[in-house]
Amino acid sequence: MTLLRVSDLRVSYGAFKALHGVSLEVDEGEVVVIVGANGAGKTTTMKAIAGLLRTEHGEIALDGQRIERKNAREIVERGLCLVPEGRQLFPEMSVRENLLVGGQPWRSRKRVRANLAAMEERFPILGQRHGQAAGTLSGGEQQMLAIARGLMSEPRLLLLDEPSIGLSPILTSRIFSMVREINTMGISVLLVEQNVAQSLSLASRAYVIAEGRVVLQGDAREIRGHAEVKRAYLGES
Amino acid sequence: MRRIGILVFCVVVALLIVIPPMANGYYRSLFYITLLYVALAYGWNVISGYAGYFSFGQVTFFGLGAYVTAIVVTKTPLPWEIGALLGGVVSAAFAVPLGYLMLRLRGPFFALGMLGLARTLQVAANSMGITGGGQGLFLPPGSNALSVYYWTLAIAVLAFAGTWLIDHSAFGLRLQALREDEQVAATLGVHVTTQKVYAFIISAAIPGLLGGGYAWYLTYVNPVSVFSTSIDLQAVAMTILGGIGTVWGPLIGGVLISQISEALAAQYPQAFLMIFGGLVVALLVFLPRGIAPACAAALSRRRARAKPAEART
Repeated sequence: MTLLRVSDLRVSYGAFKALHGVSLEVDEGEVVVIVGANGAGKTTTMKAIAGLLRTEHGEIALDGQRIERKNAREIVERGLCLVPEGRQLFPEMSVRENLLVGGQPWRSRKRVRANLAAMEERFPILGQRHGQAAGTLSGGEQQMLAIARGLMSEPRLLLLDEPSIGLSPILTSRIFSMVREINTMGISVLLVEQNVAQSLSLASRAYVIAEGRVVLQGDAREIRGHAEVKRAYLGES
Repeated sequence: MRRIGILVFCVVVALLIVIPPMANGYYRSLFYITLLYVALAYGWNVISGYAGYFSFGQVTFFGLGAYVTAIVVTKTPLPWEIGALLGGVVSAAFAVPLGYLMLRLRGPFFALGMLGLARTLQVAANSMGITGGGQGLFLPPGSNALSVYYWTLAIAVLAFAGTWLIDHSAFGLRLQALREDEQVAATLGVHVTTQKVYAFIISAAIPGLLGGGYAWYLTYVNPVSVFSTSIDLQAVAMTILGGIGTVWGPLIGGVLISQISEALAAQYPQAFLMIFGGLVVALLVFLPRGIAPACAAALSRRRARAKPAEART
């Protein structure tokens, strides 16, 4: 069953047209990856879906309900949460405060506390460092916190924008196994990654975006074997 | 620890209720001015300290409260307390559309916008008939300074308690999040515009309520005295020195600055501003985040040192 359907999405920054009609779908329980070069429009797509950018044209539907005119808060409440590129934590606030902000859509204190306890159990390091300023965590721990903060809103679809950026290969693998674990919890994932090989091995389907357009889409394994993808993104000839 | 804090707070408030009627006029005035600035600093601390919108124009609402009270007292038979209350309500109501408009600006643009707003209202008060123009309005003589003192004390206590509540609430958390990064806060589902406007209303209501007491205390209002930039600057300096965006900062900064400036003015009337300025600069150089955060950091270091020592024994 389709959870997210994006049709003919167009977004501009002033006179610059960033997206020229992007269409994509994410089914329930699926991990879908978007790959593309820098400036291709991946982050713009994610931000537009999350309600952070005004769309010029096109439809975005979550669970069959149109959301392209909803604000970010309403979209989070409907079960879609974006973990932005570069972690973007609140560095001066503690680890626990960062997590609590993630639970903002819920008015019930009990629910927020239950989610907080679940996160600190799932990611014990965050529980151990709950009083520490988020900006003082290591890169890997910061990414873990950013993902846990996103999970605090109980999303059905998690949008992860470049979660492995700036991380060592070991930490990157750890982040990818965390994404796999999140997916086994029943949460669908739309992933933007520059680490193409690893993300294609994790995802079931993939989209390749270039200059604001989807130029290739299909089964992740097929995309992995595509000659142009091999040449442009995997450094294989 | 919290119980001791509450106990100390209650004792201080009780002393502030009991002492002034026994004190002479000078000390009563000193108490009043100190509390006035402490409360103003608390008002400023919500929008600028917690939400991160640095304002140089909260005096707009102080002047508005003062004028509303002066008009109520001179044109109607109502008591000044009703006028002051109305001043707070008018300021809070004015802050709603103004907040939606002004809080679109960020950083220096918001600060300058608010400064401009205060000047605009000053010019408006200068040229309108109902405000008495440049001459201002004279309130009935025989004002009771003690009633103004208790009014201000009540607002200062409420402002302190309100700040404590904000600091420990989800609302406070949302404000801190948007202070650090507005777009990320929005990504997580924080309705940033609404939260900012709420903070702005609180920051407007407090000076609005205080302005009425000030008008009654002076028995005279004119545009220069109640829209003065120096009122804002004092509140800003006190909050920053005490610790911006903290519960204790405005109280520590407010009491310290008013007492030091008073003592210096009495001892060195010629050079007091120079010495005072130097002191403020020195404090900010050595404690850039303010006194309250520096004390909190020292306390947590002491606790951290004590823990391993306990573990060894």
